[in-house]
Amino acid sequence: MSNQKKRNFQIEAFKHRVVVDPKYADKTWKVLEHAIREIYNHNASGLSFEELYRNAYNMVLHKYGEKLYSGLVKTMTCHLKEISKCIEAAQGGMFLEEMNKLWTDHNKALQMIRDILMYMDRTYIPSTQKTPVHELGLNLWRDNIIHSSKIQTRLLNTLLELVLRERTGDVINRGLMRNIIKMLMDLGPSVYQEDFENPFLEVSAEFYKGESQKFIECCDCGDYLKKAERRLNEELDRVTHYLDARSEVKITNVVEKEMIANHMLRLVHMENSGLVNMLLDDKYEDLGRMYNLFRRVANGLSTIREVMTSHIRETGKQLVTDPERLKDPVEFVQRLLDEKDKYDSIIKLSFNNDKTFQNGLNSSFEYFINLNTRSPEFISLFVDDKLRKGLKGVSEEDVEVILDKVMMLFRYLQEKDVFEKYYKQHLAKRLLSGKTVSDDAERSLIVKLKTECGYQFTSKLEGMFTDMKTSQDTMQGFYASHPELGDGPTLTVQVLTTGSWPTQPSVTCNLPAEMSALCEKFRSYYLGTHTGRRLSWQTNMGTADIKATFGKGQKHELNVSTYQMCVLMLFNNADRLNYKEIEQATEIPALDLKRCLQSMACVKGKNVLRKEPMSKDICEDDTFLVNEKFTSKLYKVKIGTVVAQKESEPEKQETRQRVEEDRKPQIEAAIVRIMKSRRTLDHNNVISEVTKQLQSRFLANPTEIKKRIESLIEREFLERDGTDRKLYRYLA
Amino acid sequence: MGYRKDRVRFNVGGRIFETTATTLANAGRNSLFGAMFDDSWNLQQLDNNNSNDYFIDRNPDCFAVLLDLLRTNELCVPTNMSEKLLYREAVYYGLLDHVRSAKWGPFDGNRLWLSRTVAGQAPGDGTAIRAGPDGGCCVAHGCMVHVYDWMLDEHPTINLDYQRVNDVGWLDSENIVVSVCERLGRGDGGMGLFSSSSGELRDKFQVSHENQVKSFTAGALSFSSDYKIFSSCKGRSNEYGIGVWDQITGKQTDFFYEPLGWSLGDADKLQWLNGSNCLLVATLFPRKDNCYISLLDFREKKMVWSWSDMGAPIMVDEKRVRDAIAMEESNSICVVNEYEDLGFIDIRNSGGSVRWSSRSKLMKGKMPDEPCYPKLALHEGQLFSSMNDSISVFCGPEWVLTSRLRRSHGGSICDFSIGGDRLFALHSEENVFDIWETPPAPII
Repeated sequence: MSNQKKRNFQIEAFKHRVVVDPKYADKTWKVLEHAIREIYNHNASGLSFEELYRNAYNMVLHKYGEKLYSGLVKTMTCHLKEISKCIEAAQGGMFLEEMNKLWTDHNKALQMIRDILMYMDRTYIPSTQKTPVHELGLNLWRDNIIHSSKIQTRLLNTLLELVLRERTGDVINRGLMRNIIKMLMDLGPSVYQEDFENPFLEVSAEFYKGESQKFIECCDCGDYLKKAERRLNEELDRVTHYLDARSEVKITNVVEKEMIANHMLRLVHMENSGLVNMLLDDKYEDLGRMYNLFRRVANGLSTIREVMTSHIRETGKQLVTDPERLKDPVEFVQRLLDEKDKYDSIIKLSFNNDKTFQNGLNSSFEYFINLNTRSPEFISLFVDDKLRKGLKGVSEEDVEVILDKVMMLFRYLQEKDVFEKYYKQHLAKRLLSGKTVSDDAERSLIVKLKTECGYQFTSKLEGMFTDMKTSQDTMQGFYASHPELGDGPTLTVQVLTTGSWPTQPSVTCNLPAEMSALCEKFRSYYLGTHTGRRLSWQTNMGTADIKATFGKGQKHELNVSTYQMCVLMLFNNADRLNYKEIEQATEIPALDLKRCLQSMACVKGKNVLRKEPMSKDICEDDTFLVNEKFTSKLYKVKIGTVVAQKESEPEKQETRQRVEEDRKPQIEAAIVRIMKSRRTLDHNNVISEVTKQLQSRFLANPTEIKKRIESLIEREFLERDGTDRKLYRYLA
Repeated sequence: MGYRKDRVRFNVGGRIFETTATTLANAGRNSLFGAMFDDSWNLQQLDNNNSNDYFIDRNPDCFAVLLDLLRTNELCVPTNMSEKLLYREAVYYGLLDHVRSAKWGPFDGNRLWLSRTVAGQAPGDGTAIRAGPDGGCCVAHGCMVHVYDWMLDEHPTINLDYQRVNDVGWLDSENIVVSVCERLGRGDGGMGLFSSSSGELRDKFQVSHENQVKSFTAGALSFSSDYKIFSSCKGRSNEYGIGVWDQITGKQTDFFYEPLGWSLGDADKLQWLNGSNCLLVATLFPRKDNCYISLLDFREKKMVWSWSDMGAPIMVDEKRVRDAIAMEESNSICVVNEYEDLGFIDIRNSGGSVRWSSRSKLMKGKMPDEPCYPKLALHEGQLFSSMNDSISVFCGPEWVLTSRLRRSHGGSICDFSIGGDRLFALHSEENVFDIWETPPAPII
């Protein structure tokens, strides 16, 4: 009913209006002012929108725009001052509720006021550079409410207290909080920042400074990180629930700085629970947490990385230099692989597969593996072991995995050519003795080496495989053309291309007559089919299966080396022979002969010969006879040669020397290649380019390079520049 | 019920109109209808009333036209209706933008028709005409700038101390920048920012050298999308170069001094290139004896590309560049000589030569008594070139001549400008300019 009354009142007022009325502007404004008040009082339904709109239009049209605008400012200010009192009067917890309610009202009213004054907003305001109605309403709210002396600090303190309460575990009204913060943002970024964000960040910094101090005193590293992570997530949560999204970076920076950056070193090096302990105990979860938190702060990850790499270097160095560990090469390499696996999974599970960490790990491995000059040999031995027996019953995929791991270690080696040397030796032994478990595995590794180091690196290794294959065909051909040989001993020859194999200058021993006749036949067959070739016998590398009958008629097939066969064959015609006689008859080099006799006379279970006097070592005046009492559970007996699996010291020296010898032409070739393309280059650049070119094979020694340069100068490939002695010229 | 609810009846100045709330919603929230039917204005009151229509105290004829505009998005003004009246009504309802966008279609150089010709009272030759962003324009004449809104109502004129105007430009639909000559020893002139609706001076741009404010003559203007203003400047003590101001603060932010043996401060034309973040500066004959075209990178304070006809063999008139415009899509600068031959220079490498396309040799010897030299403009892949009393439109990668705009009277075209989907052409003999528009889309 009251609505009815009000409408009547307006229509009355309107009827009396005349355009020429001198008080026209005042009257019209009164109507509008009344409407504005009604809107604020939620009585808008009694108003006629069209009429109000028309009135505002008329005022602007009749040049009363200024009056309308200033009237609006005055009315709204006056109303907001009342609102301000209401808010001030609100008690305790009701303060924010009241403010939120009135803010919602104000916004709604503001929208309606703007609707009425739309014409002014569109025409009068732009041309007079005044503030548009909506913005004006916000500015007035800001000045009269938010910045009123009785509200400003109270509002800030209330907000900060609520945040603190939430941080200490209380539940607060997040919806209300969000509305109030949204209000501050609506009033402009500067209001939000000055009246809330900046103080909020300061208080937060203070809070986290205190808390982190408390935590670090009483928690271990893992627990501390858990707490820090929780706090960080809480703040992120807070931002999504009721703060400006742009505050996220700022508040997380505060937490990161106070909780992580300021305590970084202390956390990493914390006794019994720091980074090293986490690494030792494979604490993936804690490590992952540390990574994720430290990633957020400057130098965080580099700190973790440095501690990790220095730890790996330290433990790695102990591993490769501990003489105990060097006794078993297979175990040595297995340990390296285990260590690598450990850190690979840490990096994968905890460090997000971070490239920089992988690089750190790789450089650490490279560092310590090369501390031990025997690493290439050991890695080759490891492969040898795996390919001889280790891979039996292992699936193809697993073989690949193991080979890949080996390749990874290989990549760390600086002296790849040394590895190649050993690998060739070991491969030759495997191939010749037929001991290799899987041809596929062998070839797969060669392919890997090829992709890693190029064709040149593996061409000889591949040549070895080809030789094996051709030899098979050759043997078939040989026996096909000599059918009469069926009864006698069977000869299997492997024709090895010189150069591809690690052959030593051949010292041929005297073969037993039966054998040497057969060999002659083969030689003439072979040379008959291949002209222009030379065959020489590598008796030191062969094996033989011989049948033997011992004293009580026990029969055995003995698997022996060619040397051993030669020795044993002597006993077909003699009962006892002394060392000298054997040496004379066979002409086996002394060192090999001793080993061969030792393996047949001194090894328990394999002692087909008896030695007088009985002792561990072979002396020049020992006498040997057939051990008639020899027994074995097996029909086939394999009599190994006593060979040190690892190389002995002098052998090592020799290999080393050979490697050095081999490097010389490679270095020279590299120098010539570089100089040919550059024509002139100074000393330092030559060194660095040569090192770079050869890196994939070995680490060239600068003094050696220098020697090579000297030698090339002597041979007139290069000359020194006349004026600048550091400059070399290429002589075509 | 839903159907009934959607229906709305208006009583406009005594005539009843019936429409739907859906149609009215096309007016948008920022209009009388948008506000009227907003939930906050609870209009149930009418249901209690006897009459169930909304009364609006306005002209019913115009309301009919505007209602049709909301229904069809098309403007059909009866011949007997004053456009001005219609516009006024549109302002009342907050539909002026609807009227404007329905009045003419999106700009296409090949489908232009002459929509109006406006004559002014200013004496002498016009200097420049500049299209505003919303279909208005401003015309510089001597020391005055006349401003027209899109309805072609003239607003208060602009002047800066009654100094000769060199260039004008629209910052936005509300703000115009004017650059003028300085008067000897008076410290006035320079550049000013004016309100387009009231003509009031809002700000004066200043140049300072070594922390001293200096008076200067401002020449060509250009604006960048990152709120910068560029102007060629000539100072008292040989402080020549390109000044840079911030559009928002109005403060000078940079100054690119003219290098020795080059010309920047006298430039005829500046063009901001958005893609390459460079400013094209062209100083042309007859302001200087030679032509200098360069691209400036302000971030590195470097001239990244330059071309000049200095040292070229005896200047043949045919090869004299009269206007230049950069075309970023094709990495080239288009130039034009006084016979409207177009030429192209590659900007991917410095020191290239002009590739002239000798197209209009016919013009030779047929020049009118008071020729106007060609000007160039580029709009969405169409190249425009004015020559005497016509404007040619070129399209395609080879810039084929596709249309020619010509009007028989008014004399030669001394300047033209494209903006707000309109082309404005200013004639030299009388103070007359033409407005060319693309018609609204056809019915089917």
